[in-house]
Amino acid sequence: MTKARLLTTAFAIMLLSGSAAMAQEPIRIGAINPYSGPVALYGDEVARGYQLAIDEANAKGGVIGRKIELLRGDAGNPQQGIAAVEKLVSDKTDIFVGTYISAVSNAASDAALRYSKIYWDTNALAADLTARGLPNFVRSGPYASSFADVSANAVKDLLGPAIGKPVKGLKVWIESEDSIYGTSIAKQQKELLEKEGVVVTGVGAHNFRATDLTDSVLRAKNAAPDIWINTGYVPDGNLLLRTMREQGFKPAAILLVGTGDTFETLDSLGAEYLEGITIVGYPRPDQTETYGPGAAAYLAAYKAKYQRDPIAPQGMTAYVGVQMLIEAIAAAGSVDMEKVRAAAAKLDKPPKSYATGFGLKFDAQFQNTRAFPTVVQWQSGKIVTVFPKEATQPNVKLVNLPRK
Amino acid sequence: METFLNILVSGILLGGIYSLVSIGLNLIFGVVRIVNFAQGEFVMIAMYATFFCFAKFGIGPYYAVFLVAPLLFVLGIVVQRLVLQPLQNEPMMQIFATFGLLILFENSVLAITRGEGYSLAGAYSNTVIELFGLRASFARVVVFFAASAIALGLMLFLSRTMAGKAIRAVIQDRQSARLMGINVERTYLLTFALGAALAGVAGALLAPIYTLSPYIGGNFILAAFAVVVLGGLGSVPGAYIGGLMVGLMESFAGYYVDPALKQAIWFIIFVVVLIVRPSGLMGQAGAEEVGLREQT
Repeated sequence: MTKARLLTTAFAIMLLSGSAAMAQEPIRIGAINPYSGPVALYGDEVARGYQLAIDEANAKGGVIGRKIELLRGDAGNPQQGIAAVEKLVSDKTDIFVGTYISAVSNAASDAALRYSKIYWDTNALAADLTARGLPNFVRSGPYASSFADVSANAVKDLLGPAIGKPVKGLKVWIESEDSIYGTSIAKQQKELLEKEGVVVTGVGAHNFRATDLTDSVLRAKNAAPDIWINTGYVPDGNLLLRTMREQGFKPAAILLVGTGDTFETLDSLGAEYLEGITIVGYPRPDQTETYGPGAAAYLAAYKAKYQRDPIAPQGMTAYVGVQMLIEAIAAAGSVDMEKVRAAAAKLDKPPKSYATGFGLKFDAQFQNTRAFPTVVQWQSGKIVTVFPKEATQPNVKLVNLPRK
Repeated sequence: METFLNILVSGILLGGIYSLVSIGLNLIFGVVRIVNFAQGEFVMIAMYATFFCFAKFGIGPYYAVFLVAPLLFVLGIVVQRLVLQPLQNEPMMQIFATFGLLILFENSVLAITRGEGYSLAGAYSNTVIELFGLRASFARVVVFFAASAIALGLMLFLSRTMAGKAIRAVIQDRQSARLMGINVERTYLLTFALGAALAGVAGALLAPIYTLSPYIGGNFILAAFAVVVLGGLGSVPGAYIGGLMVGLMESFAGYYVDPALKQAIWFIIFVVVLIVRPSGLMGQAGAEEVGLREQT
């Protein structure tokens, strides 16, 4: 054997043994979220959901013969998102998941594409993320448009009947914060509701950092709507509700979109005022097992691991998102970007297949078309799922509608 | 008509909030000639301190103000002594330093609270006063009367006491003041601490109105800077009246034009005032230049 041949053989053996070792390497999932900064609480909660799905898969032996490991990449803004992706790529991350903040998802998924890695988004809401058509991007959860859809359905099928008014001629005021997030949802709500014959008495936009919102409230009050809808953040949502109380503005029903279902709103307004207010939000573990099979098991697993109730409902949507990702990896038999996407495109599960009540069917832009938020209601200081009907526990009734 | 009056009342009450936040800022701006970017964060810290007093010890905000204001006075002394005074001859660096403090305070509170939105619940935030069909929250009415009382008290302090006269002398011409035997450095220290204490009062009284966040200071401070320039540098009645004007403009523009455009509208008026009367509505003509010229 010549020296050169000896070297080649040795090299081939090294390569082979290397690939054997590779087979034992865990699949590394890099989770891009804000783990510090103003919304760290929610970033952590989303990551807890990921961890629970990963623990569940690892207990069954992992996927494609490999265990799964979660790595965290802290990102509160787009620049940090890019940096976190680069750091995690150097830590041998195979696939990325995220993201509590849409702007971070936008930048981080773009960065992940440079390394040909899948960016599997479970929680970002901005519509344009899937509209970009990035070849590595997949969104398993609901997005802004789903929130607009469900809020229009809730007005039509839940709130209108509850306050005893027919949909045709029902008067609705649509309020939102004035960035693209709020206004895009408000625009879609207006279109959907007007199509149903609802009279939109006005559309208002406000800055979420405004020090006073009396003007917005008085405008809506003078339009005398039956239902008042708001899409915004926590501080402006709380200030609007407080100002409504001050100004004696009492629409028969109030529907909040996205926020208003946490202790932050309960502390600000108190259980008595909140009684009967409805919120379009991420599905919660209190829904029925027929609608969300596995919701109770998720809650039990969460409590066992973290010794408390979930902080926010985003965690369960994140959990389901990673379950879907693991299924796609299993179907692809690989973590390769193109193979995982191709396998994901073929997945087809009817609604009510997961703990959140989601089904799984991606459209051409890789948006899951079977992921929807639910509607919850404040009842005696607690949040209870009230819509859709199949998700609602049999003993649950709507309360305080029309609002007194 | 009732709506018009409601807008008027809400504008005046909002003006009270801006006046209260601006008076302290104006005092510092007018006397020490520092653009204190961290003034909003003083208000924010005071809000959290008030929340802490309420949540931990059950002390209501209208009692807590007597603890929080002195606390901020001390914080003002510390900041002036340790950060600003060493940079006295480098005005640009002082501005950067206050900006640094802004980031420091914001992020410290963020780290402690993890960004959770706290609210002072209960009667302090729920109570509504109703009079002839007009409705207003009790907490806002308190802020308005407090701002009025503080403006009046501060005017008396500045015109009747030796310390106040010293402050006014420094506002007008710090070199001449020094020649008259006024301890300019001590006046700076007193004024800065007083400005911080006023932020403390503002924070305690505003705590029942808002959901607290580490960034809430920024919500007030943009308006407060406009108020200071509009009313006149170093002028207490200027800050008071300027605050009311901005509050009324914002309220009427928000209702009759568009809530999304209200800031744009009062900023246009602000720019017009700057062009027509650079010293502000009630400021001393030329005051906006004297201090800066002297520093450079």
